[in-house]
Amino acid sequence: MEDELVMQEVREGDVGRLEVLFDRHYAGILRYFNYLTSNRTLSEDLAQDVFFRVLKYRQTWQTGANFRPWLYQIARNVFADQLGKQKPEVALPEEAREIRGADAPPDREFQKKQESLMLRRALAAMPCEKREVLIMSRFLDLKYEEIATVLKCEVGTVKVRVYRAMRDLTDRFFALSGERAS
Amino acid sequence: MNCERIREQIPEALAGRLSKADRETLVEHLESCGACRTEVAELNAVWRGLEAVKSGMDAAPDSGAKTRFQDMLAAYQAGMQAAQPVVRKNNVAGIPARPVWQAAIAAGLVLCGILFGRYLPQTSGGSPELAQLRSQVENLNQMVALSMLQGQSPSARMRGVTYSERIAQPDPQVLDALLQAVNHDSSVNVRLSAVDALQKFGGDPETSRAMVRSIPEQDSPLVQIALVDMLVQLNARVAAPDLARLANDSELNEMVRQRMLWAVNKLETK
Repeated sequence: MEDELVMQEVREGDVGRLEVLFDRHYAGILRYFNYLTSNRTLSEDLAQDVFFRVLKYRQTWQTGANFRPWLYQIARNVFADQLGKQKPEVALPEEAREIRGADAPPDREFQKKQESLMLRRALAAMPCEKREVLIMSRFLDLKYEEIATVLKCEVGTVKVRVYRAMRDLTDRFFALSGERAS
Repeated sequence: MNCERIREQIPEALAGRLSKADRETLVEHLESCGACRTEVAELNAVWRGLEAVKSGMDAAPDSGAKTRFQDMLAAYQAGMQAAQPVVRKNNVAGIPARPVWQAAIAAGLVLCGILFGRYLPQTSGGSPELAQLRSQVENLNQMVALSMLQGQSPSARMRGVTYSERIAQPDPQVLDALLQAVNHDSSVNVRLSAVDALQKFGGDPETSRAMVRSIPEQDSPLVQIALVDMLVQLNARVAAPDLARLANDSELNEMVRQRMLWAVNKLETK
């Protein structure tokens, strides 16, 4: 059964059906917060909050609307509330420290791992709006149309924002690694 | 097509989402533009690198998440049931459908009630055993609500809020615990539910004032708006001057201030 039909049932009072939507979307929502905060425990709390708000505000879901963008709009609001509570800086990933000395893996693997850590650093250092649009597009595989609904803007604007976010990330990454592609 | 428009299509091209026609235009442009070729190479290196970041951060949700969700759902369903009004059936067995007969029966019952009340010995409030049982259940509900409101997990505290709504007589201790939850609970969900539960205690002007005092202390605009709405729902006119003053506080969220102005208007015209 499609998400929208299940949500219709939830809206009409069969709230137990939300479990179906939880099973389908919890992992994606958790990933969204994980990328935004780099904090697993906090992400789990925020993801639970999203599903609670779906219940609480189920009457605001409009029949005919796509469920996934609506769900991510709620997730954005939850994150915005969280930002209001705490400092907005995203914690650097725990492992994002230099790998040195005896712990260093063999060359090729070492290089790949270093690149990945630098990318995570670059991602964490980006402004929230840019990081968010990149997460939706690259990590959550949301379509541009869906992102446009979540961000309440035109599809063309999403296209430009994703490109600018990629450009920003690329600049930060090469600044950290000290090299550029040729 | 100029370089800028072409470059905006690079992420879509890297994700394999570009239409055939656009892809061909892009390739054609790249053949003659070295700067855009460099752009594609750089973005491609980062785009591919993000795949490793993705797999490194995609840890599967743990099983506790589902249990936590189910606890929350169960608490919510319990809350819904407690909040449901008693449904009156149209055709109660043994009562005729015609209004004339219904009126006659009602008049008869009133008469019986008057006679019964006049000739019965004066007792205070019916069977003492029944009163005692009611009181025990009430105390039990209060005890459960209070202990749950002090629980460690948000879902336990949520159940505590739900229990508090079952209490027939507003109890100062429960009211205090609910206000504590509204003011200090770490979970926004629990705070929102506690605001809803305060509906039962709303007739008291001191409670209304405590709700107003809580508004500037809240870090979530959602809870602030819920408090304002609850004050309107309770018709707490006593709160109107304080709400009007807070509506001018520029440190508060703009939406919350708008809501307060709306609330003041509502309360003053009621």
